[in-house]
Amino acid sequence: MKKRLIAALGMAMLTTAAMGISASAEDLVLFTWEGMFPQEVLDNFTEETGIEIIYSNFDTDETMLEKLAQAKGGDYDVIIADDYIIEQAVAAGLVGEIDKDIVTNFGNINPLYQGQFYDPEDIYTVPYGAGIPLIVYDPELTDVEIKGYNDLWDPSLEDAVAITANYRVINGITLLSMGKSMNEEDLDVIAQAGEKLLELAPNIRMIQDDNTQDALLNGEASAAFLYTSQVTAVLAENPDLEVVYPEEGLGFGIMAAFVPADAPNAEAANKFLNYILEPEVSKQCMEYIGYYNTTGAADDIVDPSLVVPDSVTKGEIIQNVSEEANEAYNKNWTEFKAACGAN
Amino acid sequence: MKKKRVSFSKLYLVIVMLITYLPIAMVVVFSFNDSKLPVAWKGFTWKWYQELFHDAAMIEALKNSLILGFISCAMAAVIGTLGAIGMARVNYKSKGMIEYLSSIPIMVPEIILGMVFMAFFSLLNLPFGMVTLVIAHTAFSIPYVFMMVKARLVGIDKSLEEAARDLGASPSRIFWDITLPLILPAVASGCLLAFAMSFDDVVISIFVNGPRMSTLPIKVYTQMKTGVTPEINALCTIILIVVVLVLLVSSFFRRGKKEYK
Amino acid sequence: MKNKKNLWGLCVMPLYFFTLLFILGPMIYMVAVSFAKNNGGAYGFTWNFTLNNYTKIGDPIYLQCFIQSFKLAFATTILVVLIGYPFGYFMAKLSPKGKKIMMFLIMVPFWTSSLIRLYGWIIILQVKGVLNTALKAIGLIDKPLKILYSYPAVLIGMIYALLPFMILAVYSSVEKMDWSLVEASRDLGASPAAAFVTVTLKLTLPGLLTGVILTFVPSMGLFFIADILGGNKIVLVGSLIQDQLTRGSNWPFAAALAVILTILTSLMIYLYRRITHVKDLEGIF
Repeated sequence: MKKRLIAALGMAMLTTAAMGISASAEDLVLFTWEGMFPQEVLDNFTEETGIEIIYSNFDTDETMLEKLAQAKGGDYDVIIADDYIIEQAVAAGLVGEIDKDIVTNFGNINPLYQGQFYDPEDIYTVPYGAGIPLIVYDPELTDVEIKGYNDLWDPSLEDAVAITANYRVINGITLLSMGKSMNEEDLDVIAQAGEKLLELAPNIRMIQDDNTQDALLNGEASAAFLYTSQVTAVLAENPDLEVVYPEEGLGFGIMAAFVPADAPNAEAANKFLNYILEPEVSKQCMEYIGYYNTTGAADDIVDPSLVVPDSVTKGEIIQNVSEEANEAYNKNWTEFKAACGAN
Repeated sequence: MKKKRVSFSKLYLVIVMLITYLPIAMVVVFSFNDSKLPVAWKGFTWKWYQELFHDAAMIEALKNSLILGFISCAMAAVIGTLGAIGMARVNYKSKGMIEYLSSIPIMVPEIILGMVFMAFFSLLNLPFGMVTLVIAHTAFSIPYVFMMVKARLVGIDKSLEEAARDLGASPSRIFWDITLPLILPAVASGCLLAFAMSFDDVVISIFVNGPRMSTLPIKVYTQMKTGVTPEINALCTIILIVVVLVLLVSSFFRRGKKEYK
Repeated sequence: MKNKKNLWGLCVMPLYFFTLLFILGPMIYMVAVSFAKNNGGAYGFTWNFTLNNYTKIGDPIYLQCFIQSFKLAFATTILVVLIGYPFGYFMAKLSPKGKKIMMFLIMVPFWTSSLIRLYGWIIILQVKGVLNTALKAIGLIDKPLKILYSYPAVLIGMIYALLPFMILAVYSSVEKMDWSLVEASRDLGASPAAAFVTVTLKLTLPGLLTGVILTFVPSMGLFFIADILGGNKIVLVGSLIQDQLTRGSNWPFAAALAVILTILTSLMIYLYRRITHVKDLEGIF
């Protein structure tokens, strides 16, 4: 009886395992954050090419890299992630070259987003949206007029500021507020930034990467430092909020798609990249995710608020820094968080 | 005097339960709210439910989660129960060590478990997907069953088994007729816990799932990151209703069975 | 006789096999990684032996995290015991039907997403939330309380998430308790309080202990509660590890933190067992 039970369980396990493996004729594993594509774009691609899309999610860039590394550059066909992590993936030999014979729309890309540090020769990636984190505040709840990062330190904003949770970005804006580079390597300067960051702690209401914009809408915070998609989302809900392009300089980030080195279906992957570079498709995608449009050929048809403002060229991208500097940034961050929790 | 104390204890139970259900009630109420934000009531709507039903990926993920929960829970029930029964009677030197090791999955933060499982499965060349998920979930389910059964075994009157043996019952008879019925409630509550943990696990699953496999909590978690919360409220409400129905129906059938007996 | 021994040996085989392969294996790997060298800002690590990951934990800032985390875990555990023990106890004294209903009520929330339940608390606690609106309506406050994203909010979340474990553990232990012993001690002239302490509490200690461990240990690592209700401002050891794994991509340091945390929690459980004199079988390990 017991044995039979175990045997039955074993069978059940095998069956499900087999179910997991069986695949349809042709498919493509797309690996990115949740909510990066409108369903109809994916459906239309399947309709046009007959290739099924399996939409698989990760939560952070680092999880993605880890999983891709464990799969030894296989398992996934198209991955969309952030600039700095792609540099690491390329360095680890996990990224394959784009087949430009298939990606005939490669010329549609806005050159502003090419030749970047993670792909200087434009052989590995297709940019998919760009962002500039900005300050948004509620003038009704704020006594000061916010013009730049330094205003976030204003004592009147006590326990009223929401910020995103990327340690490099927050270290970066502190450096910008001091007139330094976001990618500062000098350990003394980073330590100074750490000191300055500690002074911001009393003003911090919350540190959060997801739905940070909600804090502005539900009255938890009166000012917030937000990613582009969050800025777009918050303005859609409440147009009376003020958006600030900080005077000290802007941070800047690019998301890009690439095909892993050992992708099971690289051909389909390239077809997909070509597809999302169609101006009409780009427009649909960008309007859905709320990031700046990176497909230059779609600039004329996309929502004008998603076309790169001129100021973007002045933006600085966060890049990978030396081990010591990274360590110092990490430490600043941990101390900052501990200080925020202490009050 | 005595009556008064009873009513105090009941009042206490009711108050704690009310507080427990308050946040859940909020989630249910706001699943019908016509606003993306859970702040003010903006009017009644079904739209989050409609969006949910059109979400094929979500339904697929639900199916995966159920399969995963049942298999890992069943495996944990077998391994954990047999283990607890056996452990109470063997004198191996390694016994204490193994008991300690088997409890590690609930002693270390989930994220650590996720990361070591991923690295280790990769080392063993196991394909990421249902198999790796089942192993990982079984690992953290075993301690729940094991502990519950063990705690129960301590309280069982040994003389019952001895009496049965003296009366000539075979070890397997003793197991099926005496030990098992006595520990069954513990196995059941261990399993219920284990299934609930499996059905709710994000952190470990996200590390060991495969490219073609997503579970419901992973879906919910990654979706929450982009902020589609009311749809998730709706999902939570539906799960709540299903759970209540399943539990009610099962208890109804159990009662019915007893009566026919 | 020998036959029977073999049977019990056979029973524990699956547990041995599974534990050695899938728990000991990964744990050895984790310990090994904790002595490896991190590749700086780049991805991955190299197998060069170093103690750096451990010496780094001595840094005041990381020590502070450990202390903060332990304090929170203590506070959570004590409150969970205070709320959960009476609950489990009272519940075990209900009629069979009452027990069934209570069990049902406890299990239902368990099966819904814990993340979602935390969002329920946000709805209640936020500035424009249900609690503030209610307090304002009855005139208790005129300015909304900022409860969310604070230490109390994290504490509420922790208690909420972990209470059911305590309740179930205490309940199962009270339920199977031999009440005649309590009666005997009462007959011998013990006051209800004395009978409770000398008999009931002692007999239910294994359950209480199980509950304490099921509460204390996870409360060190439940970083998402600190994230969601604490606005990410309370740094638990769990969040530190999470930070190192994801944002810092420093696996060796994360592994070292995990090893230390595992040792510390094991030690605490061992000490607790010694102090309460719960021997061998009655504890968990």
